[in-house]
Amino acid sequence: MAEPLSNLSKDLTAEQFARFRDWIHEHSGIYLEETRVDALRISLVARATRFGFSDYHDYFELLVADETEFNELMNLVTINETSFFRFPAQFDALRDLVIPEVLEGKSKASHQFRVWSAGCSTGEEPYTIAMTLLDSALSAEAFRREVLGTDVSMQALDRARDAVYPARAIANLSQSVVQRWFEPVPGGHRPIKSVRDLVEFSYHNLVKEPYPLALLNNWDVIFCRNVTIYFRMESIRRVIDNFYESLNPGGYLFVGHSETLATVTDRFESVERGGVFLYRKPLRHRVFPAAGLGVSHAVPPLPMVRSRPGGVWSAPAPGEPAAPTVPRGARSAPGSSGGTAAPLGAGALTAEAQALLEQGRSGEALLMAARALELDERDADALLVRASAHADAGDFSAAIAEAEAAIAIDPLQASARYVLGIIRQQQGDLDAALREFGRALYVDPEFVLAHFNTANIHRARGEYEEACRGYEMTLRTLYVNPAGSWTAYLGGFRNDLLAKTCERSLIECRRGM
Amino acid sequence: MANARILAVDDSPTILEMIKAILVSGGYDVITAVDGNEALDKARTEMPDLILLDVMLPGLDGYRVCRLLKFDQKYKSIPIIMLTAKTEEQSMATGIRTGANQYLTKPIEPEKLLSAVADELAKVSG
Repeated sequence: MAEPLSNLSKDLTAEQFARFRDWIHEHSGIYLEETRVDALRISLVARATRFGFSDYHDYFELLVADETEFNELMNLVTINETSFFRFPAQFDALRDLVIPEVLEGKSKASHQFRVWSAGCSTGEEPYTIAMTLLDSALSAEAFRREVLGTDVSMQALDRARDAVYPARAIANLSQSVVQRWFEPVPGGHRPIKSVRDLVEFSYHNLVKEPYPLALLNNWDVIFCRNVTIYFRMESIRRVIDNFYESLNPGGYLFVGHSETLATVTDRFESVERGGVFLYRKPLRHRVFPAAGLGVSHAVPPLPMVRSRPGGVWSAPAPGEPAAPTVPRGARSAPGSSGGTAAPLGAGALTAEAQALLEQGRSGEALLMAARALELDERDADALLVRASAHADAGDFSAAIAEAEAAIAIDPLQASARYVLGIIRQQQGDLDAALREFGRALYVDPEFVLAHFNTANIHRARGEYEEACRGYEMTLRTLYVNPAGSWTAYLGGFRNDLLAKTCERSLIECRRGM
Repeated sequence: MANARILAVDDSPTILEMIKAILVSGGYDVITAVDGNEALDKARTEMPDLILLDVMLPGLDGYRVCRLLKFDQKYKSIPIIMLTAKTEEQSMATGIRTGANQYLTKPIEPEKLLSAVADELAKVSG
C-alpha cells in the first residue's frame, strides 16, 4: 500500500508555494527561491502526513499556530537542499573505494556499471554521480556506464532533463570543477554532453509497489539520501527491502550522511569506506572469518569486521545495535552513554565527570571518568570527558588518544570529532582542525559550533567567502538546533551571544571581501 | 577610555572568539592568547591596558600568570580580571591572593563583563 499522500502528492501550485514561502521568509529570514519548490513540497508532505492532513491548507494552519512545528519543517527544508557534490566525501568514497571494489568482484561477462539515484529531484545528484563515474577506474576499462535518476515530481524531472542550472547552483563549486564539467548556456550552466549522455530520468514513486521490473535488478550502487527522514518506518522498511532486491550482491547503498539503517534492516552489512558510512549487500555464499559468522538472516545485525585499511566498525557484542542510531539533532548528550546498554552507574559517573569538567576541576573529572570506564569500557562520553580534561591540562597527545578511542566506539559521534578539531586548533594545526570539524558536520550537519569554528579559522586566514558561509551555516543551524548536544561546549554562554558574534563577524567578513 | 587594548586569554578557541566579540562590541581593541606562556609574552611585549585571564590554562595556569605579572613592577599596574568556572569560595580567595583586581565566574554575562572592564579601566585612568 502506498503512503497516503492524497492531495499532497500533487505539485504545489504557485499560490500555495508563495504562501509558504512568504510565511517562512517572514518568520525565519530564509527566502526560498522558485527552484526550491520541490524541496519545500517534499518537506511539507513529510510533515503533513504525520498529522494525517490531506492537503497543504490544513498543514499551513498548524504551521501558523505552532512554533515547534515550524522548526520541524525548517529542519527538513534546509536539509533537503540539493546541490552538485553535496557531501563530497560520499562521491570520493564512490570513486576511490566503492567502484574499484565492485569492479574487482564483477564477473568477466559483466560489462556494465549501473547507478540509481532514487529521489533525484532536479538532477544534481545523478549528474554528480555521472561526473564521478567518468573520473573513476571505470574509464580505464571498457564498461558501459549508466545512471538513472527517478523522482515523484514531474516538474523536478523536467528541470533535471533540461539540465540548465542557474549561477547559484554552481556557486559552491570550485572553478576547476565548473570548467571541467559544465558549459555555459543561456540561463546558466549545463553539465557537458559526456556527463548528460550517461544520465536518464524516469518517474518513480518509492513507496508505490510493486516496483517496475526494470528497477528491480542489476544495480551496482543506489543513492537514496534522506529517505528515512521523509517516510514512516513501515514505508522505509519496504523501500530499503526493495533496494536490497535491486542491488547486485556486493552492491552499495548510499544513504544520507546522518542516517542509519540499524533500526530498519539487518540484511545489509554496514561498512565504512573513507570515513563514509555505507550499506553493502553481502556477496552470496561468502564467509566472513573475522566475525566468525556466515551471513545469514537469522543472526542479529552485526557489522562485519574487515581488515581493510581506512577504518571499519568493530563488531559489537551480540545484542548490541549494529550501528548507533542517529536521530537527527538528538545525538547522545554528554552524560548519557554512547547508545549501548551500559551497566548501571557508569552513566551517572560520566555525568558527574562532565560536571567536574565544567567547573574547571579537570583532575577530578579525569578520575571520575576513569571510574565510569571501569564499569563500562565502551562509554564514549566518559572518554570524551577525559579527552577534554587532558586538553585543558595541555596534554594534547593524551587528549587525541582518548578522543580517537571514543570515535572508535561510536563513529557517528559528532562531539568526539568536534573535540578533536578543537585540540588540533589549540595545537595550531588548522588544516587538521578544519578536517575534523568537517567530519563532525558530516555526521551531524547541525553541530553548530563546528560551523562556528570552521568560520573562525577561515576568517583568521582571510578566507572571507568561506568564513561568511560558515557563519551563515552557524546561524542557520543554531536556528534549527538550538539545544543540541553541541551546547555542552558553549562554555555556559547563551545562544544569543553566539548569534550576535556570528552576525558581527559576518558583517566584518563581508567588508573584508 | 575608548580604544583601550585588552588582552583576552582563554584556551578554548570557541570561548575566546565570543569574549573577543563582546569586547569589540564595547569598542575595545583586542589581542588574544591561548595559554599561560603566550599570555605572559603578550602582556610583556604588548603592554595591554587590561587583561582578561582564564584560570584554566594548559601549562602555566591563570593564577600563576597573574602572580608573575603582579610581582613585576613593570606590569603590576595592568588590571587583571580573572575568568573562571570555579564557584567555590576557595578559588575566589586564591584569585584575590594572587593579586587579581576582579573575579568573574563563568558563564559570563556580556553586560557584566563589559561593566567590570569599564570599572577597572576607569580606576587606572582616574
